This record gives sequence, C-alpha cells and structure tokens, in this order.
Amino acid sequence: MATALSVRIPELPPAGVGDTLPTDLRTSQQRIAEITEMIHVASLLHDDVLDDADKRRGICSLNAVMGNKLAVLAGDFLLSRACVSLASLKNTEVVTLIATVVENLVTGETMQLTTASKQRFSMDYYMQKTYNKTASLISNSCKSIAILAGHTAEVAMLAFEYGKNLGLAFQLIDDVLDFTGTSASLGKGSLSDIRHGIITAPILFAMEEFPELHAVVDQGFKNPANVDIALGFLGKSSGIQRTKELAMKHANLAAQVIESLPESDDANVIRSRQALIDLTQRVLTRNK
Amino acid sequence: MARAALLHLLRHRSVATATAPLSAYKCLSSNSKTPSGIRWTSICRAFSSKAAVNDLIGIDMANTDSGVAVMEEKERLDPFSLVADELSLIANRLRSMVVTEVPNLASAAEYFFKIGAEGKRFRPTVLLLMATALSVRIPELPPAGVGDTLPTDLRTSQQRIAEITEMIHVASLLHDDVLDDADKRRGICSLNAVMGNKLAVLAGDFLLSRACVSLASLKNTEVVTLIATVVENLVTGETMQLTTASKQRFSMDYYMQKTYNKTASLISNSCKSIAILAGHTAEVAMLAFEYGKNLGLAFQLIDDVLDFTGTSASLGKGSLSDIRHGIITAPILFAMEEFPELHAVVDQGFKNPANVDIALGFLGKSSGIQRTKELAMKHANLAAQVIESLPESDDANVIRSRQALIDLTQRVLTRNK
Repeated sequence: MATALSVRIPELPPAGVGDTLPTDLRTSQQRIAEITEMIHVASLLHDDVLDDADKRRGICSLNAVMGNKLAVLAGDFLLSRACVSLASLKNTEVVTLIATVVENLVTGETMQLTTASKQRFSMDYYMQKTYNKTASLISNSCKSIAILAGHTAEVAMLAFEYGKNLGLAFQLIDDVLDFTGTSASLGKGSLSDIRHGIITAPILFAMEEFPELHAVVDQGFKNPANVDIALGFLGKSSGIQRTKELAMKHANLAAQVIESLPESDDANVIRSRQALIDLTQRVLTRNK
Repeated sequence: MARAALLHLLRHRSVATATAPLSAYKCLSSNSKTPSGIRWTSICRAFSSKAAVNDLIGIDMANTDSGVAVMEEKERLDPFSLVADELSLIANRLRSMVVTEVPNLASAAEYFFKIGAEGKRFRPTVLLLMATALSVRIPELPPAGVGDTLPTDLRTSQQRIAEITEMIHVASLLHDDVLDDADKRRGICSLNAVMGNKLAVLAGDFLLSRACVSLASLKNTEVVTLIATVVENLVTGETMQLTTASKQRFSMDYYMQKTYNKTASLISNSCKSIAILAGHTAEVAMLAFEYGKNLGLAFQLIDDVLDFTGTSASLGKGSLSDIRHGIITAPILFAMEEFPELHAVVDQGFKNPANVDIALGFLGKSSGIQRTKELAMKHANLAAQVIESLPESDDANVIRSRQALIDLTQRVLTRNK
C-alpha cells in the first residue's frame, strides 16, 4: 500500500510532513507495519489466554509454554512498545487511529464472548464483530500509511476501504475453511469455531433457510451430537456458498478501490497496485 | 518580628500535618532557596510527629498576630478537599469514558469507577494540585500550538491527564489481580472474582485503549511518549517482580528500580505531563517529575512497612501478603543486610509458614522497619523540597496547592492503611 500510494501529491503536504525525506517517510510507514504486527501478536497472546488455547501458528501457544501470567504480561508489553513506537511517529491522527484499533479488538473479542440470543443470530452483529476483530486493524493501518504520506482525506479513505474489504473477505473465507478445511466437503475442517460455540457466517446463512437450526444453536455445542446436526443442516443449505459469495463481493470491492486510486505512471506503483489486486483474489482461493 | 512569626507558625500547627501556609515561611525569607527556607523544613522534620511540640506552645502568643498579616488560614488544609469538586467532575467524566455498547464489557470496565469503588483517588488529587501549583505566568512565549490554548482548555487537558492516569492505573490493577488470582480489591470483590479472568483481561485492555485514544486527543506527542513509557514501565515492573533471579532479589537497587517501575513511574510522568501541557521549561517539568517520583517511592516504601505492621506498630499485625507471595520488600532487604542468615530462609521461599515466622523474627531483631521508614521520609522530604524550588508565585491558589502538595508528602508517611 505504501508503494501503491507513492504518487506526487499536487498540493503541499501539511507542515511537518512535507519536510520528511522520502526515506524517512518509508521508514515511518515501515514502522506502521511493525506496530500493526505487534498489536496483532499482542491480541493473539491475550486471545489464547482467554480461550485456553494450546496451539498457535503450528506451535505451542505461549500460555501453554510459559503460563497465563507471562502471556498476559507479554501482550501488555507488546502493546506498550507499540504505543511508544506510535508516539515516535509524532502524528496524532495516526495515534488516534491505532488506539481505536486496540479498542475495536477488545470490543470484537467481547462481542464474541458475550452474545445474547438475538444478537447471535444477526448477520449485522456478526459483520460488526468481524470488522472489530479482523478488519479494523488492517483498514486503520492502511489509512495510517496514507496519512503519513500526506494524502488527502479521500485517498486515506480509499486506503481504509481497501483494508476493510480485504479484512472482511479474509475472515469470511476463514469461517468457510473452519468447516471445509482442505477438502471441499463439509466436516473435514477443524470445526473449532462451532465447537467453541462461535456462530459464523455459514451457519447464520443456514439458519435463514432452516429456522429449525435456531433451536440447535440455542442448545449450544458442548454436545457433539448438536455439531453433527448443525453440519447436516449446513450441508443442505447454501450457507457455504453464500459465504463465499459475500467474501467475493468484498474482495472485488477492495480491488475496485485500488483502481480508483489517483493515476500513476511509475512502474513500482503500478506493480504494487497489481499486487494488491492479486491479494484480493488470493484471500478467496487459499485453502489454509 | 521574624521570631514572632515563627512562634505563631508553631502555635498554629497541629501535630499530624503541616498546616501553616507556604506564605508564612515566605515571611521569613525572601526566596525559597535561602538558609531560612531550609530552617523551616528542618523544623517540620523535628516536630512533624512528636507531641512535644505542644510544650513549646506554652509561650504567650497574644501579640503575634499583628506581624503576620499574610497568614490567615488557620483551618486545616486538607489536600483532598482542595480539589474535591474537580475530582467529582473527573469521576463523572471517567464513568462516561468507559461506556461501551457491549453490556458485559461496560459492566467490567466501569467496575472500579463506580461510586464507592473509586479508591483514594490519590493520583488525580496529586495531578490537579500540581496543575494549580504550576499555574504561574511563563516569561517566554510557550511553543506554537500550546500558546493559543485558553486557560480553561489547558485546565481541561490537564484534567484529562488525571483521567488517563486513573484509567491506566485501574487497567494495571485489573491485570495484576488476574495474574495474582486476587479475590479482593478496594474492599470489594476483584473483577476477576466476579466476572472471570477473561472479562478482567479484556476490561484492562479496553481501559488502556480508551486511555490511548484520550491521550491522542491531547495532540501533544511528548506527553503521548511519556504516558506510553509509563505503560511499558508498569509491565516491566510487574515482570521484574514475577521473575527474579536470586542475586537480584537481594539487591536494594533492583528493588528500588522495580518500585519505580511499578508505582512511581505513573505519578512522576503524569506530573511531568501536567507541566509540559502548561508550556513550562524542561527544568520545571523535571521538578514536577521529581516530586511525583519521590512521592511515589515514599508511598510504596510505607506500603511495604504497613504490610508487616498493619494498624499496629508491632510486627505481624499486617496482612503479610507480600511475604506470603514471596515478594521481598525493603524491610526484609534491610534485615538481610544485618542478618545474612536470613538469605537462606528467603531462598527457601515462604510457602512454608514456618519460614514466614522465622523471617519475622529476624525482621523484629533488625532495624529493617525503621530503616525503611527513614528511607521513605528521605524521599518524602525530597518531594517537599522540590515544591519549594518551584518558580515563585504570589497567587493564593498556587500557594495553597503547593502547601497541599507538601502536606501530601507527610501524609504518605503517617497513614496507617
């Protein structure tokens, strides 16, 4: 995104930003990437403590290896280092955006933990939660990249919209893969969402077609038999298909955003924009 | 006349706190750094907690009032009451700042901001007093951007520092209680005991993020850096406490560094932020920092003592929660210097209650408690001296606030809970 946005800006950038050398700008944009990754890992560390998870990224979770205390502390530590790094950028708009991300992450996680029945069946609630948990970080950090480069509010919003739609598409496919795994058929996925009682898009769509599914979902999924029943309904419904279609819609929106960016003849810019468009397709076709 | 003023000072002092306003001492000297200033401070020390001062007051004071026209306040200056209205304002704003649409998160986040659960609100009190204490006219123009804030805007942004500080403090308490499996906090159940560890961890993260958003709104990157460093220090301090190799556990330097991180960093850096927002020089900002730092250290050292002594002066009546959790604090560290045999006991750990008794025995024979109190007093006095080195002011509010800040340095020493 940083390269995709490295076009000459017609009007003078605001005071303070205009006198940064191109390399300083790139360094500060790299710092956004570092900050984003620290916040992401901090949220993973805390999530694993909350969920008593023992695996993450193919290895043992930190809490499994070093205990909950150190995992909570490590998450706090990463967050604080991210804050210090953020402060060093000396851009309060960016600080606000990233601070809002942390707030959204917490809100999203809480929405997932504590849902009243009505909300659990609501697609709107689910999309809001997904925005908070997954898309907010990418969208706001993309926007930060644009802001650091001194772009207009319009271009900054385009960067935001790319990140948001990409993030939503990513999560929707993630939901599908949890059911389908590496196979196109149902049930080969890890099913970890449903076993934890987390109701995702495929099930929500299936519930629209089969209201009987409501009762099963209400009972919860501690009983494995309920998981099988739900999978049965899911297979009969077009839940998986509709989720994929929704993901595709968001992926295409993201690609369109890139095409609306201010024109550029620079080869690097063009290549980066193409790569961003490619990514929107890759999130759809990945199988893990 | 100076002597009459001095005697008047002594007559109107109560034993527990220094109530004589700063202006009284100003009668005695033309500027705060002259020897007479030091004399006043040493009088404070000599008489701060002894009933003997009343004996001196047997002298007939009938003719002293005429020479001391400036000193009118005879009522006790309660530092907390000076800022009570503002504290209510801040408390209400805090409650509205931790509101969220997600009900469980809202309940969790507001748990320690509800009326009755707010704690002593020590930090906001210090910060508001510091804000007033520093409200002097600054000779050179403040830097661009700060100079055009109206006085009310400045006060609002300083209040925001108090709110941010309190949110960060509560966030750290929430996480600490999860880490320590604590079931009580501020006289009520801990949040993790009521709502579980998950919500407690999340609520702490939420408060931190709200604090960051509020911090960003101040549009002052130096302040953002200071407060971000505080969060880092809090985590470092907690980790230092959790994971100490043997050599470090016996080191007073390590212990003071940990105490700075866990307790003093927040107060010192937020005091400094108050000064920075007001556009003060780096020197004045450092004075504010030093006040907060020394006050925080004194506070924690007395906290360590109280954990052993509780409301009684004798050993063992306190909650002993530090030592039972294997946390080695200043009194024990001092005792270990006098009784090397104590090292072996500490090494064994305190899961065995018999070791606690043995350690208490050594502590009682040593001067550990006394030396800790002396160290606390040293830091409290350093804090008081810092206030006296602030740029002069004739403003009554400024003078009262500075006096209150000095009073606080004594209160942290004499509190018994």
